[in-house]
Amino acid sequence: MLSYVIRRLLLLIPMAIGMVIVTFGLLLIIPGDPAAVLLGQDATPEAILNLRNSLGLNDPWYVRLFDYFAALLRGDMGRSIFQNQAVSEIILGRLGATIELAVVALILATLIGLTLGVVAAIRQGSWIDTVTMLFAQIGVSMPVYWLGLLLMLLFAVQLGWLPAIGRGVPLPEALLAAVTGRPQVLWDSLTHLALPALALAANSAAIISRLVRASMLEVLREDFVRTAYSKGLRQGRVVVRHALRNALLPVLSVIGLRFGALLGGAVLTESIFAWPGLGQLTIAAISQRDLPLIQGIVLTFAIVFALVNLVVDLLYAAVDPRIRLG
Amino acid sequence: MKKLLLATTALVALGFMPAQTVFAQDNTLVVGTDVDAGTLDPRLTRDTTASRTADLIYSGLVHITPSLEAVPDLAESWENPDPQTFIFKLRPDLTFSDGSPLTADDVVFTYTTLTNPDFNAPARALYSPITAVEAVDPLTVKFTLNAPYAPLLSYLDVGIVPKALVEGGADIALNPVGAGPMKLVSWNRGSEIVLEANDAYWRGAPTMDNVTIRIIGDNSARSQAFEAGDLDVIQSPLAPQDIERLAADDRFGNVIVAGLGVNYINFNTKDPLLADPKMRQAFSMLIDQETIVNDIYQGVDQVAHSIILPSSWAYSDAIAQPTFDIEGAVALFNELGWTDSNGDGVLDKDGADLAVTLATHSEDGNRVQSIEFLQAIFEAAGVKATAQISDWPSFSTNYVQQSKHQIALLGWLNIVDPDRLMFAQLTTGGSTNWGGYSNLEVDELLQTGRSTLDQAGRATAYQAAATILAEELPYYIVSAQGYQMFYAKDLPVEVQATPRGNLRGLIGFTD
Repeated sequence: MLSYVIRRLLLLIPMAIGMVIVTFGLLLIIPGDPAAVLLGQDATPEAILNLRNSLGLNDPWYVRLFDYFAALLRGDMGRSIFQNQAVSEIILGRLGATIELAVVALILATLIGLTLGVVAAIRQGSWIDTVTMLFAQIGVSMPVYWLGLLLMLLFAVQLGWLPAIGRGVPLPEALLAAVTGRPQVLWDSLTHLALPALALAANSAAIISRLVRASMLEVLREDFVRTAYSKGLRQGRVVVRHALRNALLPVLSVIGLRFGALLGGAVLTESIFAWPGLGQLTIAAISQRDLPLIQGIVLTFAIVFALVNLVVDLLYAAVDPRIRLG
Repeated sequence: MKKLLLATTALVALGFMPAQTVFAQDNTLVVGTDVDAGTLDPRLTRDTTASRTADLIYSGLVHITPSLEAVPDLAESWENPDPQTFIFKLRPDLTFSDGSPLTADDVVFTYTTLTNPDFNAPARALYSPITAVEAVDPLTVKFTLNAPYAPLLSYLDVGIVPKALVEGGADIALNPVGAGPMKLVSWNRGSEIVLEANDAYWRGAPTMDNVTIRIIGDNSARSQAFEAGDLDVIQSPLAPQDIERLAADDRFGNVIVAGLGVNYINFNTKDPLLADPKMRQAFSMLIDQETIVNDIYQGVDQVAHSIILPSSWAYSDAIAQPTFDIEGAVALFNELGWTDSNGDGVLDKDGADLAVTLATHSEDGNRVQSIEFLQAIFEAAGVKATAQISDWPSFSTNYVQQSKHQIALLGWLNIVDPDRLMFAQLTTGGSTNWGGYSNLEVDELLQTGRSTLDQAGRATAYQAAATILAEELPYYIVSAQGYQMFYAKDLPVEVQATPRGNLRGLIGFTD
C-alpha cells in the first residue's frame, strides 16, 4: 500500500513536467503579448520592446523553458507580470478558497446525487423517478453561470435570504470559531458558501444521480439482493447494506473525476459570485497573458487533481475488498 | 441513511433561514466593480479600478472636475512664466496618511520616475514633452518642457507618492500610502479593497468613514448583488437588460454622464482597398450609428459627429462625418468602379469581389454585436464582409497594432483633452497611428493645438483638423461613450458622477 502511494506520488513528477511543457507550448502558440497589454494602447513600440527584453520574452523558447524548470526546481514559480508578486504567493493566497468551494460542492453533489439516484432506482417507473430524472436532466444541461445567476436572483434578490456575493470567514476558521462559542461566524461563512456551492454542485449532482440510479437498478436485480429480501431483511437495510455498497463502486471513480470538473466549473462560478479563489484569477491571468501566473495555476490545478484521484483510488480499495493496490 | 437525512435537512434549513445583513454598516460606501486593481501605485495604474482607488488614496497637484477643469488639489496655485515652464506652489503642511510630510521632493520623485523609460509607466507618452522637474524650495516645483504643451495640466492629477518610503523599499503597489481622502485598510486580491477615511487629507476627512470596493466580474451578477442590497453603487459596464430593470426601480438613483471614451472604426489607410478617402467615405456611409447606439448600447452612449467629444470645449456642431445612407454608399462605390457586373449581388471590379474584414475583440459584447450588425448592412449593400472576433491581446497587439487590419472597431478612453485622441493616433508616424494615416496639414494643425496655450486658439486648430478628418476618415467615430451609475438613494451624501467613474463625488467631495 505504502509503496503504491509512493509510486503514484513519484509519477506526479513526469506528469508535472509534461503539464508545464504542454502549457508552455500552448502559450507560445496563442497570440497576444503581455508587454503590450501591460503598457496599454498608448505604448510606443520601443517601450514594448524594452519591456519584453526586461521580462525575458525575447529569449528563444528553449531558454525560457529551461529557465522556468530551473526556477521550479528551487520552488520558484516566477513572478506575476501584472501583480508583480511571486506566483506561488498569489496562488497560495487563493487556493484555500477554491478548494473549500470545490470540496463543499463535491460533498453537496454526492449527497444530492446519491439521495436522488437511490430514490429514483427504488421507485423506478413511478412519478418520483420521472421528476428526479427530469431534475437530473436539467442539472446536466444547465450551464453553471446561468444557474448561478438564477439562484442569486431567487435567494438573494427576490427572497433576500442569502448574500449575493463574496465569502465569509474561511470555513476551517469558522468551524473553529463555532466550536469556541461563536456560531454566528460559521453561519455567516455558510450563508456565503451556500449559493456558489449549490450552483457548482448541480451539474455533478445530476450526473452522479443518473449513474447511481443505473448502477442501483443493475444491482437490485442481482441474486444476492433477492436472497437478502428472502432472508426477511427490511428494505432499508437491503438497499443501504447490500445494494448501495455494490452500486457505489463505479460511482466512486466518477466522483473523483468530477472533482476535476468542479475545479474547472469553479472558474465560472467564482467570477459570478465574487468568490476570491483561483478561478477568478485564472480568467484575469489569461485575458492579460500573464504567462508565469497561467503556468502556475495550471500546474497547481493539475497537481491537486492528481492528488484527489490518488485519494479516490485508495478509497476504491477500501470499499471493494477485491481490489489490491500494490 | 440517518446521517444523510440529517445533512439534507440541515442544508434545506440553511436555505430557509434569513441571511444576516452584515453589510449594513453605517457610513460605509460599498461599490461594485468589474475588475480587480492591478496595482495601487498611481504611476502604474492601467485598469479603471486601480485608477479610481488610487484617486481616493492619493492626491495629485491638480484635481480634474467632472466638467474636466483642472483645479488645485495639493498645489495651491500655479503660473506659466513662459509657455515652456510651469511653476506649482504646494499647500503648506501637507502630510501623507502615515503622518510624514509631503514636499516638493515627493512631487519631483513622482514625475521623474513616471517619465523614466525603465519604469514602464503606461501613461509615460503623455508626459514626454517634460524635460526637467525640479524642487525650487520645499513648497515649489518647476516643470520645464521642450515645447509648449497645453494638455499637460489635464494630466497632472497623478497621485503623488512618498519618496522616502518608496526609496526605502516599501512596495506601494500593494501597501499604498498617499495624501488623498482615504487610506487602505486591507486588500483581498480578487475580492475586495477596504478603505477608511484619512483625517490628514488637506480638505479634512470625507463624510463617508469607509469605502469597500467589491470585485464582481460578471455584469449581471453585479447588478443583482446591487439589487439585493449588497452594494450601494454600480457603474458601467452594465448589461442593457439590467439597466432597464434598475432604472424602473425607485429605490435607486440613476445618472448618465458623457464619458471620456469613444468607440470608433479604424480604417487601415495603407490597405490598397482603403487607401482612397472616397472608399473610406463609402464604407462610413454603411455605419448605422443610430441603431448601434440606441439598440445595441441602449441609448447610454451618444451618436458621435466628429472626432471632438461633445463634452469638450473644442466641440463644434458644424463638423459632421458622413451619416448612414446605403444608396449613397452604393452610388459612391459605383462611381469608384465597383458594380455588380455579374448579377450575383456582390459588387465587383476587374473580376474581383468587393470584400473586407471587419474586426473587433470578444470581451466587449456590444462591440461584437455592432460588428455582426455592420456585417449584415455591408452584405445588403453588396460588400462581402467577414467578421473576425478575437480576444483583446490577439486583436490589439497582434493585429491592429501591427496594421494587419482593414476595418476594426475599438475604442479610446480618458480623452480629457482633444490632443489625447488625435496627436499620437493621427500625426504622420505617430506612436499609435496603426492605420498609417498621413496628412501634413493635419500634422501641423495638431502640433499647433498642443503648443498654443490659449483655449480659443487651440479650439480653432482642432476644429480645422477635425473638419479634414471628417472628410478623409482615417477614423470614423461611431459613438461617444456614456457613463452610467446607479446608487442607493439612502446614501448619506450628495452624489456626483464623474466622466471617469471616479468616486470622490460619492464620499462627500463634490467637484
